[in-house]
Amino acid sequence: MTDRGTGGGTALDTAPTHGAPGPVPAAGAMAARAVGLRKVFGTTVAVDGIDLDVPAGSVFGMLGPNGSGKTTLIRMLLGLTRPSGGTAELLGRPVPDGLSATLPDVGALVEGPGFHPFLSGRENLRRVAMTEPRLGRSEIAAAVETALERVGLAGAAGRRFRGYSLGMKQRLGLASALLVPRRLVVLDEPTNGLDPSGTREVRRIVGELRAGGATVLLSSHLLAEVEAICTHVAVLQAGSLVVSGELSTLLDAGAGGLEITVDDTGAAVEALRAAGATAFTEAPGTVVADGGPPAPRLLAALVHAGIDVFEVHRRRPHLEELFTRLTEDRNDRDGESA
Amino acid sequence: MTAATIDTTAGDPRPVPTLRLFAAELRWVLRRPRTLIMFGLFALVPILIAIGVVVADGDGDGNGGRGLIGSIGGNGLVLPIAAMTISLTLLLPLAVAVASADAIAGEASHGTLRGLLLSPVGRLRLVGMKAFGVLVVAVVATLVIAVVGVLAGLVVVGGADGQLITLSGTTVGLGEAVGRVGLVALWTVGQLAAVGAVALAVSSFTEHPLVVLASVLGGLITFGVLSTIPALDWLAPYLLTTGWSAGADALRDPLPLDGLGSSSLVALVYLVVGAAVLITRMSRRDA
Amino acid sequence: MGNRSSVRRRWAAGGIGAALVATVGIGLVVAPAGASAAPELPPVSPEDLVSSVLTAEPGPFNGTVSLDNQLGLPALPGAPQAANGTSTARIWSGDDGKGRVSLPTDQGEKTFVSDGATRWSYDSETRTVTKVPAKQGGGPGEKQGGRPDRAPEAGTTGPPEVAAPDPAAAAATAIGELRNTSTVSVDGTAEVAGRPAYQLVLDPKPTERTLLREVRIAVDAEKRIPLQLSVLANGSPEPALQVGFTDVTFGPQDASLFAFTPPPGSTVRDEPATTDRAKPGPAGPKPGQDAGRDAARPTIVGDGWDTVVVARTPAQAKPGEPKPDSAEQGDQGAPEGAGAPDLSALGTPVSGPWGAGRQISTAVGTAIIADDGRIAAGAVPAQVLTEALAR
Repeated sequence: MTDRGTGGGTALDTAPTHGAPGPVPAAGAMAARAVGLRKVFGTTVAVDGIDLDVPAGSVFGMLGPNGSGKTTLIRMLLGLTRPSGGTAELLGRPVPDGLSATLPDVGALVEGPGFHPFLSGRENLRRVAMTEPRLGRSEIAAAVETALERVGLAGAAGRRFRGYSLGMKQRLGLASALLVPRRLVVLDEPTNGLDPSGTREVRRIVGELRAGGATVLLSSHLLAEVEAICTHVAVLQAGSLVVSGELSTLLDAGAGGLEITVDDTGAAVEALRAAGATAFTEAPGTVVADGGPPAPRLLAALVHAGIDVFEVHRRRPHLEELFTRLTEDRNDRDGESA
Repeated sequence: MTAATIDTTAGDPRPVPTLRLFAAELRWVLRRPRTLIMFGLFALVPILIAIGVVVADGDGDGNGGRGLIGSIGGNGLVLPIAAMTISLTLLLPLAVAVASADAIAGEASHGTLRGLLLSPVGRLRLVGMKAFGVLVVAVVATLVIAVVGVLAGLVVVGGADGQLITLSGTTVGLGEAVGRVGLVALWTVGQLAAVGAVALAVSSFTEHPLVVLASVLGGLITFGVLSTIPALDWLAPYLLTTGWSAGADALRDPLPLDGLGSSSLVALVYLVVGAAVLITRMSRRDA
Repeated sequence: MGNRSSVRRRWAAGGIGAALVATVGIGLVVAPAGASAAPELPPVSPEDLVSSVLTAEPGPFNGTVSLDNQLGLPALPGAPQAANGTSTARIWSGDDGKGRVSLPTDQGEKTFVSDGATRWSYDSETRTVTKVPAKQGGGPGEKQGGRPDRAPEAGTTGPPEVAAPDPAAAAATAIGELRNTSTVSVDGTAEVAGRPAYQLVLDPKPTERTLLREVRIAVDAEKRIPLQLSVLANGSPEPALQVGFTDVTFGPQDASLFAFTPPPGSTVRDEPATTDRAKPGPAGPKPGQDAGRDAARPTIVGDGWDTVVVARTPAQAKPGEPKPDSAEQGDQGAPEGAGAPDLSALGTPVSGPWGAGRQISTAVGTAIIADDGRIAAGAVPAQVLTEALAR
């Protein structure tokens, strides 16, 4: 039972995103994987043949409007719902056959926190802990208190769940997902109902988990939230995967030009155009340069022309723009085909 | 000490010991206010019957009425058996139905079934854990009636020098009388186990606890109606409720075991079928 | 969609499967030990079989007797066994006229114990003990090796005495009375209550004017006591009445079964020794009725299958006199003054040269209650009764 701690420590030391030396099987290791996963409820196709890889060590954000199949996909990955087709893997083992081995290392908060209203928060958590294979019987009480502490619920732990606010319920759900050190934590809409400080805490907890080497798979419709904490994203739309990959790559792909603050915009535009870039004045004191030679050469050209450069940064789209673009493209296509 | 360790951390965990799961379920069942209220009500059943019998005796001719209740007057040890037999017609099955409804449908509606499956408890063991919880309710409810019945019978009703007068007119000592009460309690739990298995099977199909209650209640009423239709005589042996009058056999001397035995076998069939449906359904249920 | 309907089909199949398993399972549980093949037994002539029955001494035994009554009689207060349905009795028979009979009901029991010197009866509903000194020499029910107390009779409908739940006594009586007027044959073998038995069949001779088709008696091959008696009427393949052991065990019986001590809190009623017609019946003895019966000793008209019994109704139960509360009294088994069951509302009015009255017809017999208080009954068509009444 105690070697669990060292296991977690090992994972921390060698978190793959830190570019650990040596052979790197972890780079290809997937915390969760879906191959052609499909779920049909009656005549509704909830998930339509999704292939998805959640790399180990990533903070993987799943985005999509309500009803896009995020939760169903998560439920299939966790073995809560039987797929109509396709296969799923969790921590390298098939679902559902490998679940008894993998689920103890998976913490999950799916479809809102499920607890009994007539029990206190502590008692609810205790009940979950009693069924937690990674917890020895003597460790249960301490684990419960630690988890309550961690989500800031220690003060209200004695109150009945019935009287909890939405945010407190959500925190208790988080606490149950974090009862033991996990290799994968799945959070479905984790910031639902939380106030800004609660949201910050979730962000902190996700950061801790990641630093501890755990993979975090979260779904959200809050784009800013995902952009702030995720390394990878997948966008779902109407049961299909629109795009998935590393967040920075996706954003770079949609990258715009350089935004340059200068003292003389007219001269700057001329200089940039002379250097072979497309340039225009966007706002007083700001020009935008796109295409042409790489950024250092453009800047050199400006300096050469005697223009004072105050600030330069690359224009990157926010996730929201990316998301809107991706989902609207698709809506348009759907609209045409319909 | 490479990144590969992330795939093989602390080795495969051992499943939680089944006893610990049972303990968790027991704690949950017994912490539920509804369960405790039910047990309290069951304690009242023999007490109310005892008071009724004593009051009826006080203003009557010493014969408190007809049937089993009538045989309690001055013969207190009939009380636990009569109370169990009477409760078996409706109250006890209802208690078992409530427990079964909470066990699966209730957990599903609270979203806690998910938590159990994610722990993971394992689907087969989840069924075992839930069946255990329901059985505990059946056993405790029956024992409450039996024990309070014996005490109320001896203290409130009294009579017969601490002995039991059987329906056959013979007299049986306290020890054997308590043994007979125990036999009826055991038999009652067996019948309730059959009700529980069927109720759990229903519970595994729904997220609405009330559906389970309605099914069990509706089933009991339907069985009752079917058994009164003479043209459906042939159906009677197949109805679980047909054998439920056998509890009174414990008040006969010599003790006839065929009624208790055959009704227990019928209950066993219900139990097996209910359990089979339950296990099949729970192995594929979405949570 | 195909997917959905296939899911539904799968569940439907599962449901049907579960129902099937349940049906078969309970069928196996509740089915009687099984209609096994007829046992192989050495052949026996009807005469030998009948005489061996009449002289059989089975010794002590116990068993459960089940009475399946399809006579079509209305439910008579105080005689629940008379109505259609199944009732059971538990019987223990010892030596020397000792015996015990229990008639269980759902919520109570009537117990009859004969300890050799005294006949006790106990009714758990009224908690009344009735105590009758046993008749010297024993009644007809005891003549074969100490049969217990003859069990409650469904009525006095005359021969055959079909309603007695003790098949040994009932069948022996039937054979004795009927073999002069019947064709007696042995029709193969059967297994009754798990014991091999000969099937003795009594057919009425063609001259007999009776509603009955045949009487079948299963006689235990070893102990030579009747295990089952079936009465079949004309026009029905199913027995109109069948009484027999569902289980029987021969061997010494616990002596304590044949002793009775009135339990504390019970009312004990002493009865004088009576003639054999006044045995404690299921409704308990009725003093007034006994007197009435003595006065109205029935007369027997004819013999064999077309025997008609003509009796007078007891004085306090004149036909035609409405007694709205009699059913209730009878239900409670009230010992005082319940009298005979009220028959005035039953049957259809008839009249003839003999007078007028009401006729009650059943599958196996007919009864006419004449307005002058006479009752004629027998396993015969109504015409035979009216002839008897006209004499």
